[in-house]
Amino acid sequence: MQHDHGLTVTLQPHSPRLQVLVVAGDLDHHTAPRLRAALDELTLASGAGLVIDLSGLTFCDSTGISLLVAAHQRAQDAGAAPALAGLDPDIANVFRIMGLDRLFSSYESREKAVAALQ
Amino acid sequence: MRRLEAVRRHAFLDALGDDAFDRVTSLAARIFGAPIATVTLVDDEWVWCKAARGLPPQPRRSRRAAGLYASAVTRDDVYVVPDAAADPRAAADPLVRGVPGVRFCAAAPIVTSDGRRLGSVNVMDTRSRQATAEQLASLRDLAALVAGEFELRLAASRTVAAERELRADAERLARTLQRTLLPPVLPQVPGLRAAAAYHPVSADEVGGDFYDLFPLDGDRWGFFLGDVCGKGAGAAALTSLVRYTLRAAAVYDPDPRAALANLDAVLQQEHAGSAAPPPYCTAVFGVLEPDGDGFTVTLAGGGHPPALIVRADGGVEAVHPEGGQLIGILRDPHFAQVSTRLDAGDALLLYTDGLTEARTETGSMLDEEGLTAYLAAVSPSGADGLLAAVRKLIDDLGGGVSDDTAVLALSVPGRPAAVPSQEPWCSMTTV
Repeated sequence: MQHDHGLTVTLQPHSPRLQVLVVAGDLDHHTAPRLRAALDELTLASGAGLVIDLSGLTFCDSTGISLLVAAHQRAQDAGAAPALAGLDPDIANVFRIMGLDRLFSSYESREKAVAALQ
Repeated sequence: MRRLEAVRRHAFLDALGDDAFDRVTSLAARIFGAPIATVTLVDDEWVWCKAARGLPPQPRRSRRAAGLYASAVTRDDVYVVPDAAADPRAAADPLVRGVPGVRFCAAAPIVTSDGRRLGSVNVMDTRSRQATAEQLASLRDLAALVAGEFELRLAASRTVAAERELRADAERLARTLQRTLLPPVLPQVPGLRAAAAYHPVSADEVGGDFYDLFPLDGDRWGFFLGDVCGKGAGAAALTSLVRYTLRAAAVYDPDPRAALANLDAVLQQEHAGSAAPPPYCTAVFGVLEPDGDGFTVTLAGGGHPPALIVRADGGVEAVHPEGGQLIGILRDPHFAQVSTRLDAGDALLLYTDGLTEARTETGSMLDEEGLTAYLAAVSPSGADGLLAAVRKLIDDLGGGVSDDTAVLALSVPGRPAAVPSQEPWCSMTTV
């Protein structure tokens, strides 16, 4: 299948202790390196929060899922609190079947995630 | 060998079409101001007339006897006969002896760059005459053009053939790999009917779906079905590892949850230290234990869509080890387990997410709900009926299916009807 929505990754520092990473478009084998690079550049301090805003995510393949799991583990290793926000119902359903709802703290919207982590 | 090659060559030249040769003869005749021109190809036995201008219809091929064409093809350069009547070798040629009574002939050999002589471009006149150096040079050029065109087209057809060959090889390899990942035949389990199918989306891309059914200790049987993320050779290799790990794990500890935990440990080890996002898999692992006239089924799931049971009464229910997680990438993953009974007439369906993630006409995912509703409406009977129903669903979804789907169905044959059978004379349908 061809996905040509591309992927944009934007880091939006919300406060000194909370960063929001906005991931929009198709997250797949071809676009995953962009998210990977953005994650590698993140500085995650102990006690800080990281919200990954996926409300603009249109597609997520296995590489994307792998990468989100890795990001979650990295944040936890750094003592930071990771959260997902704005998952599309189809993707949320796939995550639920994969048992990832037990792993990720997930919020309806970025605002709710920010409020929970602050 | 040579002859075969020659025939093949001519079969190829046939495909060139006569237009090209007609243009060559037309040009040759004009250059010489001569009434007759031909293009001929020669192999060990035959002369093939590809185009003729100014002659009555020529036989497509004739015996390669001594004559103008046979002489021309053996020459290194243009062969000129100013007066055939005075040339004993040329005089034997039917075109000289009979109609139209050729007297003059100039023929340039068609020679490929590797020195193979294919035939000649010929110009003839019914009167004795001479040719200018310029005319002969032009004839030489025409023959070289024919040779060049021939080689070009031959090379192109060889490239196409080579590519076709490569592609066929790749497809064969993919199919072979796929076969090693899926059992060729499911074993016969007493009191159980088993059927499986694999629906690939693309013929030449190997997917990571897998399943198996095999004996455990005593009269217990193990089975699994799952999906390794990714496609291609890497996924195929990993699928192979997963399949053998699950079978081997079950030998030591047939507890379904333990089998998945063992697979998780093996996959984590396999990718320890790797920088790339590690691949994972989802799977359902089950154990069947005979119990009365049915089976007790214990299922463990890791990140996999729920199995479904179509009960004897047509009801469809999910058998979902709630909360089982992806295998191979999580720290301390949780694998859930659930037990149920398969009674006479019940059928269990395991599938990969290519089915439930397929898009329906409305553009939404089929989902577990859609699959459940479909099976409840169709109410298929037995493993084979269940498999046929799923096949029909996949066919109906058509382009909405974007991923491979593996399906494994297990059923307990129904009890022979306890109701007295209807008499033939009253077996009519009431509306």
